[in-house]
This record gives sequence, C-alpha cells and structure tokens, in this order.
Amino acid sequence: MGFFDRLFGKNKHKEDCNCGCKEHEKKANVNVGDAPKTAAKAAPAKAAPVKEPPKEAANPLDAFPLLPGAPPGGKIKLAIYWAAGCGGCDVSLLDTDERILTIGDMADIVMWPIASDGKESDIAAMKDKEITVSIINGAVRNTENEHMVKLLRQKSLLVVSYGTCACFGGSPALANLVPGGKDEILDYVYKQCPTMKAFQETQKAPVIPQTSVKTEDGVITIPELYDVVKSLDQVIDIDYSIPGCPPTQESIRQLLAAVAAFAYNGEALPPKGTMIGVSSKTLCDECPRKKEMKRITKIVEPHEIDVDPEQCLMDQGILCLGPATVGGCGAKCTRAAQPCRGCYGPTSVVTEMGASMFTAIASLFPVLDKDPICGEDDIIDIMASVKDPLGYFYAFTMSKSLINRSVKEKGGQ
Amino acid sequence: MADFEPKIIAFCCNWCSYAGADGAGVARLQMPTNFRIIRTMCSARVDPEHVLRALSKGADGVIILGCHPADCHYIGGNYRARRRIALLRMVLEQYGFDPKRLRLEWVSASEGEKFQNTMTSFVNTIKELGPTPLRGVQ
Repeated sequence: MGFFDRLFGKNKHKEDCNCGCKEHEKKANVNVGDAPKTAAKAAPAKAAPVKEPPKEAANPLDAFPLLPGAPPGGKIKLAIYWAAGCGGCDVSLLDTDERILTIGDMADIVMWPIASDGKESDIAAMKDKEITVSIINGAVRNTENEHMVKLLRQKSLLVVSYGTCACFGGSPALANLVPGGKDEILDYVYKQCPTMKAFQETQKAPVIPQTSVKTEDGVITIPELYDVVKSLDQVIDIDYSIPGCPPTQESIRQLLAAVAAFAYNGEALPPKGTMIGVSSKTLCDECPRKKEMKRITKIVEPHEIDVDPEQCLMDQGILCLGPATVGGCGAKCTRAAQPCRGCYGPTSVVTEMGASMFTAIASLFPVLDKDPICGEDDIIDIMASVKDPLGYFYAFTMSKSLINRSVKEKGGQ
Repeated sequence: MADFEPKIIAFCCNWCSYAGADGAGVARLQMPTNFRIIRTMCSARVDPEHVLRALSKGADGVIILGCHPADCHYIGGNYRARRRIALLRMVLEQYGFDPKRLRLEWVSASEGEKFQNTMTSFVNTIKELGPTPLRGVQ
C-alpha cells in the first residue's frame, strides 16, 4: 500500500462526485463502471495490447481524473526532497485535484521528509537509478542538502528541480549578499537579534550551534552552513525544471501527465532540460492589463495608490518585473493588482534577469527638459527612487546571476 | 601594487566615441594600453548584462563612452544609457564593488584628446583601486 492509500484509505471508494465537471462526464463516458477499480483494470488492458499510443486516452490523465491503478510494470518509485526552501513547494505538490487519492496506486513514495518516513539509509541502500522520479525543491545551502541531492541524483532516473529556489536560488540566495557570509549570519541570528540577545545575556558564554558536539552518548552533528547558496543545477545534473514560487497547478499537472504517460503507456519522456510550465514569452504577453507606454516620474507601492484595475501597473508607477520574467503562471499576481516579483525567472534567451529589468526601468523615466545640461548627480537622484535595486530585481535569481555573491574591495572597508 | 596592470573593457559608441578613439590613434596621442575597446552602435546598446559579464569574468573596470547629451545619433540613446548606468552603479555598490570601477563619459568624434585624458585617468583610478575583488574568486 502506498502512502496515499494509507492516508486516504477511507475515501478511496467514495468517488461519486456530483459536481458535473467536464472531466467527470468524460470519465463516465469512457468507463462503464463507477468504481475506480474498473478504471484501473480497463486502462492498462486498453493500453497494453495496442503498442502504439492509443489516440484517445493517450495520456492517462486526460481520460481519468483518477489514475488507473498500478502501472503495468509495477509501481514506480517517487522521492520528494526538501532542501533550503520554505515548504510551500511541498504543499503545492498536493495540488493535483482528486488524482491525489490515487497517486499512491501509481507510485510508492520512498522519501518525503515533510510527510512520510523514508530515511537517508533507505535511499542509500537502493540500487542506482532505482527511483523513477526525484522531485527536489529548495536551494542547496548546507552539507546535508548537498549530500542528499547528490545521493538522490545517483539513485534516480529523473531529477526534477521543483520551484524557484531549486531553479534559481530563490529567496534563500539573497543570503549571498551578506558581506560576512555564514559567520555574519550566525552571529546575527544567535547573538545580535533582540530575542537571542536577551537569551545570550543569561548565559556565561555565547551559545552558538556547533557542527559537532561530543556528549556522553557520542558525537552529535548538524550540517554545516555554506557561504554561498547554490541552485540545484549548480550542484547536480538535473533533467527538468519547474519554476514558480510555488509552481502552478498547471505545471504540476503537466509533470504528472508526463510521468503517468511514461509509467502506464511507456511513452517517451520530454527531452532533458525541459522547463515545464513556462511559455516562451514574458509575463506581459499574458497579462490582461492595458499598456499605454506611459512615462513615470515616481515609483510607488501598490498600497500607496488606488490601483486602476485595467491599466498596466508599470504605467501607474508600480515596479512590476513582468517585462523581464518568463510567462506561464497566468499573470495571477498582476490580475490581483500586485506587481510581478519575478519568481518564474528570466526568459530562455536571457541569463541576467535583473539586468533586463534595469534596461526596462531606465527607459520608463522620461527625458527631461534639463537632460542635455544636467549633471550625473541629478540622474542619480532620479534613479534613487528605485529602492534596493539589487534586492528587488534579483529577489529570486541571485544564485544564477553573473555575480552571485557580495564582494569585498581589498582597499576599502 | 606598483606592477598591477589592470584589464579594462571600454564600450565605445560607433558614431562619436569610437571615432574619437580613432582620432586619438591617428593623432598618435600617447595613453596606457590597458583597455580593450568593444564597439557598439550606441551607448544605449550596452546592456547592464554586458557590464556584469565583463566584471564577472575578471575585468578590473568598465568604461562606457557615448555621444554628448543632445548629440546622440539616435536622439535619446545616451539619456537611456545614463539612467541605466546610474542604476547599475547603485547595484554594484550593493554588491560591494567600488562604484568608481564603472564610469560613463561623453567623447565626441572630434575629441581625440578627451579620449586620451579620459582613458588615462580611468586607468589611474583603477590602478589605485587595485585588482577586482572577483579576481581569483570564481
């Protein structure tokens, strides 16, 4: 029994949904029986004799809201790992509609630190490439992250870099900009920040976590923090990436469809290096707002103005990263009057996302009458209305930027 | 530090500064040879990515030369470049670079002498600053 079977065991046979949604109608047409078990037997039987991919129901996901039982070749193995991330990606993975009830029929979840009981030793005992798919979210920030992702790479057929932190470093990678690196971070977190300061004052000597401590019962170790947060592809070879903070339901559906087509029908997987769930154009292409190419003189936050529901956010003076961000998310944020923060990363032709954004922003400020005669300081005054450009434009892509850490001039402090 | 010879990337716009550099050469003006010129059609063609790439590959300084204000071959290219570079300089400062490693100057086609002076002073500035902090890091 798979993990989901145990978790949702009671609900398994209760699937007479009365919502009348299209998928269910389609399913009702395809399958005579109501119980998912009939569907389970029907699908592989249908798929197995016909060697070429059947025209209808080419993808198990299209025909069945629920996955049709165990694949012909037995259950596949699925591992999900959580590196330096917030856990939002783990939660977003559940967003597979009612199919979640039957994912346990298709796959054994051999590891998922947030939800199941797979251990590092279990994975280490496996044969190479025994796991079909490893979905890894989060950036690589300490020795444990690095060890685990390398182990999973060795044991997996496919590795999916899932979420913005894994693909581009994400928010954790902003730590690369702390000039003192990990020492400064640990010093602040355990000594300087107000709540810890009060605690440290009660101690004889400052208490800071050590990577290994000898106790009576043996040596206790914790992972060591790195100075530079890396994206997943800077540490291991990856097969697919799915950006997003977190990725949308559509991206997850596409991944699941590809894996299910592979598991049930033996269809070829997408080519290596595929970015799942992204378009080839920028977010502006799918944003419904009207662009009038207005010039702006002042940058505002959304809460400072009455945001016009129709007009482009940039035209209204809100810094939106849409022009430099790849589309695919459906412009959820801009539809809700929030500027795009760039979590989907740059388009395929650009390496430096922030730099594309400077280019766009600088052109937004109008040429003034005094421009031919004013000095450089005046220009700096104009551009200073962009607060914290590095943190804003590289909020999600610091690991993958050309200069991915803070630097220190030798002469000055 | 005395024997430090910096590597500098100079982006020159096709219409003014590159011709200015040419003029300086024809007039046999003496200047340090630490810079490599990359010709662009306009100073606004210089994407901030080009500058960051130069720095990330170990350039000690980057200088962008364009037409004087109100003199751009494409009417407003240099105004755009100026805003972009101002923003980029803020970013470099946040990274921890000395913003003096990036300079923007106006050199017209007839100003061979200004080109000589600008390059000489920029090379001196970079020599004072020393090698880029990224040298040997990556």
